Amino acid sequence: MGALFRSEEMNLCQIFLQSEAAYACVSELGELGMVQFKDLNPDVNAFQRKFVSEIMRCEEMERKLRYIHRELKKDGMKIPDRDENPKAPAPKEMIDLEATFEKIESELKEVNTNAEALRRNYLELTELKEVLKKTQIFFAEHGRHGIVDDAQHALAHDEGGGGFVPVTSVQLGFVAGVIPREKVPAFERLLWFANRGNTFLKHDEIDQPLEDPVSGDAISKCVFLIFFQGEQLKARVRKICEGFKATLYPCPESASERVEMLNGVSTRLEDLNTVLHQTEDHRKRVLMSAQKEIRPWIIKVKKIKAIYHTLNMCNFDVSHNSLIAECWTPVSGLEEIQSALKHGTELSGSTVPSILHRMQTKEVPPTYFKTNKFTTVFQEIIDAYGIATYQEVNPAPYAIISFPFLFAVMFGDFGHGFIMFLAGLWMVITEKKLTSGKSDNEIMSMFVGGRYIITMMGLFSVYTGLIYNDCFSKSVNIFGSGWHPSYDFRTLQKETSWTMNPADHFDNTTGPYPFGVDPIWQSSMNKITFTNSLKMKMSVIFGVSQMLLGVLLSFVNHAYFRRPLNVFCEFIPQLVFLMCLFGYLVALVFYKWLFFTAECPQYAPQLLIQFINMFLLTYTPRVMPANFTGDLYACTSIEPTSINATSQTVFFEHQQPIQITLVILALLMVPTMLLVKPFVLRARHNARVKRRQGLYATSQRTLIHNEEHPEPAVRGKDNIAINGEEEDGGIVGHSEVGISEPEEDEEEFDMGEVFIHQAIHTIEYCLGCISHTASYLRLWALSLAHAQLSEVLWSMLFRFGLTFDMAYVGGILLWAVFGAFAVVTVAVLLLMEGLSAFLHTLRLHWVEFNSKFYMGDGYKFAPYNFKHLLDADLDE
Amino acid sequence: MMNYMPEMTFNVDHGYLEGLLRGFKSGILRQNDYLNLVQCETLEDLKLHLQSTDYGNFLANEPSPLTVSVIDDKLKEKLVVEFQHLRNQCVEPLSTFLDYITYSYMIDNIILLITGILHQRPINELIPKCHPLGSFEQMEAIHIASTPAELYNAVLVDTPIAPYFLDCISEQDLDEMNIEIIRNTLYKAYLEDFHSFCRELGGATAEAMCEALAFEADRRAFIITINSFGTELTKEDRAKLYPRCGDLYPYGLQLLAKADDYDQVRQVADIYGHYKELFEGSGTGPGEKTLEDKFFEQEVNFMKNSFMQQFQFGVFYAYVKLKEQENRNIIWIAECVAQRHRAKIDSYIPIF
Repeated sequence: MGALFRSEEMNLCQIFLQSEAAYACVSELGELGMVQFKDLNPDVNAFQRKFVSEIMRCEEMERKLRYIHRELKKDGMKIPDRDENPKAPAPKEMIDLEATFEKIESELKEVNTNAEALRRNYLELTELKEVLKKTQIFFAEHGRHGIVDDAQHALAHDEGGGGFVPVTSVQLGFVAGVIPREKVPAFERLLWFANRGNTFLKHDEIDQPLEDPVSGDAISKCVFLIFFQGEQLKARVRKICEGFKATLYPCPESASERVEMLNGVSTRLEDLNTVLHQTEDHRKRVLMSAQKEIRPWIIKVKKIKAIYHTLNMCNFDVSHNSLIAECWTPVSGLEEIQSALKHGTELSGSTVPSILHRMQTKEVPPTYFKTNKFTTVFQEIIDAYGIATYQEVNPAPYAIISFPFLFAVMFGDFGHGFIMFLAGLWMVITEKKLTSGKSDNEIMSMFVGGRYIITMMGLFSVYTGLIYNDCFSKSVNIFGSGWHPSYDFRTLQKETSWTMNPADHFDNTTGPYPFGVDPIWQSSMNKITFTNSLKMKMSVIFGVSQMLLGVLLSFVNHAYFRRPLNVFCEFIPQLVFLMCLFGYLVALVFYKWLFFTAECPQYAPQLLIQFINMFLLTYTPRVMPANFTGDLYACTSIEPTSINATSQTVFFEHQQPIQITLVILALLMVPTMLLVKPFVLRARHNARVKRRQGLYATSQRTLIHNEEHPEPAVRGKDNIAINGEEEDGGIVGHSEVGISEPEEDEEEFDMGEVFIHQAIHTIEYCLGCISHTASYLRLWALSLAHAQLSEVLWSMLFRFGLTFDMAYVGGILLWAVFGAFAVVTVAVLLLMEGLSAFLHTLRLHWVEFNSKFYMGDGYKFAPYNFKHLLDADLDE
Repeated sequence: MMNYMPEMTFNVDHGYLEGLLRGFKSGILRQNDYLNLVQCETLEDLKLHLQSTDYGNFLANEPSPLTVSVIDDKLKEKLVVEFQHLRNQCVEPLSTFLDYITYSYMIDNIILLITGILHQRPINELIPKCHPLGSFEQMEAIHIASTPAELYNAVLVDTPIAPYFLDCISEQDLDEMNIEIIRNTLYKAYLEDFHSFCRELGGATAEAMCEALAFEADRRAFIITINSFGTELTKEDRAKLYPRCGDLYPYGLQLLAKADDYDQVRQVADIYGHYKELFEGSGTGPGEKTLEDKFFEQEVNFMKNSFMQQFQFGVFYAYVKLKEQENRNIIWIAECVAQRHRAKIDSYIPIF
């Protein structure tokens, strides 16, 4: 059991790292992942630490890698994942890396700027081509109608290039250009406002989307033509165009010139296309070379950065030219760490070995459990409640069985359980595939994470399902029922229901049904009454047993941390309290099961009433009739009324004195828990103060007499004794591990605080016992709900499907009904009910079980580990 | 029901955004961060420290060497991204409220562009200098206008701030002086409009915002008066520029309109307790804080108080203002670091 029962023994170590070997050693430790470094310079700013320049270099490299990564992504090139794990390169290789990245980055940037210029050129030419085409079409169309005829003619006579020169009578000019489509309405409106309606805008969309030269995104643009009159308007139009970032293109006036220009543009476009292709190819080649290497690069850079971050946490010892690191390590891992350090020293070629030195400390060490893939999930459930205090008893190993079991008590149906088991098993078998790929599906990855617990829960549900004899709300008759109904056709005709007396119809020769609930209950009318009684009693039994286990574990804790006071003032009263009340209740349940048979159903005790009466101290005794010699409490068939035997009378000998004793004992435990400990603590404190005063006096006397020798001996001895006492007491918070600083001896003893603390504890425990026992009834409630829900589903849905009495069609309908039944079964009964049962199990463990012994105020061991740096994800 | 108790249904529409905003707010730099920032030797150090704050890796993709303007751009970008997110997620009346916040940036941008054009600067150079929160479509065509009337008719008529402009159309030319007048007239109209909008919203929003806007209005009135000494601005014109929604309105404004020098302004302030303190603590000598800084400090206090109340929009306004102040602080420190001029590095205005 070792590893999971208590957290690993931890050790605070000092490592003296030679300056030249530090990097290699820390790198080895990172690969090992067993060391948690402490930050020795928490007050130093990030930018004032020793290796800040290296970290900045790493960040610069990361930036370049991110750039390359983005470029790769832009071209849709995947980063190959070959599961490689390159070691952190030596510091001198960093320069090579930097040079490589620099080269690739500058090369890429150059290619990109070239490509961008080319693309811009290309874009402009395409736009010009479109402008020419559109204007051609426009003028051709409208020229025929004579609308712009005048302008067309007037312009045709022009000689000057550009837009417009006033000629003869008609002075219409125009500019042509391209503008992003979304800006057209605003552009049009502004033109209208600014020029008071004296311009005419004609626009038409370019059909194929154009490419933005910088980002490469597709953009839709429009060609526009603006007609206007006069020089001033022209200036304004140009200004507006500039404001809207519309590109203007020279457009010749005559049709023939336009055609000529169009041809020219087309040939230039073709040339440009080939050049563009070449640039693209070059870019591809550069990226290809980077693609193969980028993953190891990213990992390497991340590792270097992590190493320097760690080194920044160390103290620098100038006189010995070494770095001093402090770290937590598990004691069991010391040898591995030593060898990693040795290896690191060898790698760096340093002659002076790095030294690992174990330190004594009063700090609480971190909590570390070695888990495997099976136990991890249970440990995580416990961690979610609170990280175990260092070396206290860990509830996780118990949860491995109790968690699936309590779940199964609520989820007891072996059909559903089996489906769940299969689902879990499938995830377990294919776990390699499921866990290797990084899944984006959060819900799915949650289920995969809990695959072992799901399998276990399924398995246990099959078991409890068999006990309940429930499979999709049906029972299975495997061994043959122990009941033998003897009725004939006539009785059935006469009555709709029919009572079977166990005395007559139960076959006692073969004994009860050998495993689980007799299937005959499935068809009985009082099935629910029967299962309720069974499940309720079982819930209480399980609940009290689990709480008892919790209380017993608290003894293990007290014994381990040597707190005898807690054993006598907490553990024993708690145990007695629990056992006197609820342990007794459980005993009664068993008593009733064993000693009351079908022969005396009338005076089988009602446990609930009996239990309540126990507190009210009301008892109705049985009457001893005259000349009665037999056993008054035996389940024999004497006349019950003659001895006044009902379900509420005393039902075993000496019941009254026994119960009264138990109640008084339990009530006595309350003041014991409440009062003893604070007063003992106070007495101890006073004694300690007195002794210290005495000690102080003696030490002063020795000083006066200049006697040196006895003092240190006395001091040392006494200090140990005091510390020992301190641990025994364990007052302050829950920090009984001896973490208290030496000064704490002088701490004021606040009786009020201790008292309040103890009162809270006592009240919590006593009320908790009652409410927690009641809380365990959820086991019954959920189980009932589950059984009822699945029965409803069966009778309302599936049985309805079976009633179709039609040839062929009925089959199809049944098929459809079965589909619905299956879907609802999985969605509601398995998933929803499963989640709800899981939640309640979680609560029972966190609240009812853990509160009995688990402190859970530790902190988790977070080793410095390279493992999580292994994915090539740079976006933080 | 809805009108009487807006708090009851506030969270239905705006609860998420308020929560988000309060989250943003807790990322505002604290005194501790500033103490670290002022110790920086270079801008790289500054970047390294900002990494450990809520700013995270906002400078990670900038190649070194860093410049102050890059930091400025990135700071603005971060605020704008956050603001746009809020704006995109919100519903009425919060969306209008957030739009109102952007109007002040629009006014600033317009004034910046007109001034730039007046000094013959090309528009492409000016556009990047505009605050991205206040950019609008027609902004870039602003240089076609040469008179206020034209500016209104051609460019601004479609924008939400057009109504504020009505008072300025009468101005003849766009010269230095007129631009200042236009700016202040616009601001006055804007503040009054915003003030009445908040009052209509009612509830806690009105309480918090009217107070904040009243303070803003009074600050403008004081600053206008002080800056007008020694200029050609007549007292009547000056009086027209005072926003009439502050605590000073109406009596204080009348007095301010008559003021001839700084001391008289001070006498006006003496009547109002909270302004008296500001004037008393300020000065231009070494070690003293300027009146402007005093006002900024006061504003920061106002804005911080705004977060004390829930179910109101004031927090959105306050966040933008605080963030703006934080950006000013960071830029101030960055400038001091970059120019190796550490003497005045401590004159930032701490927020929390």
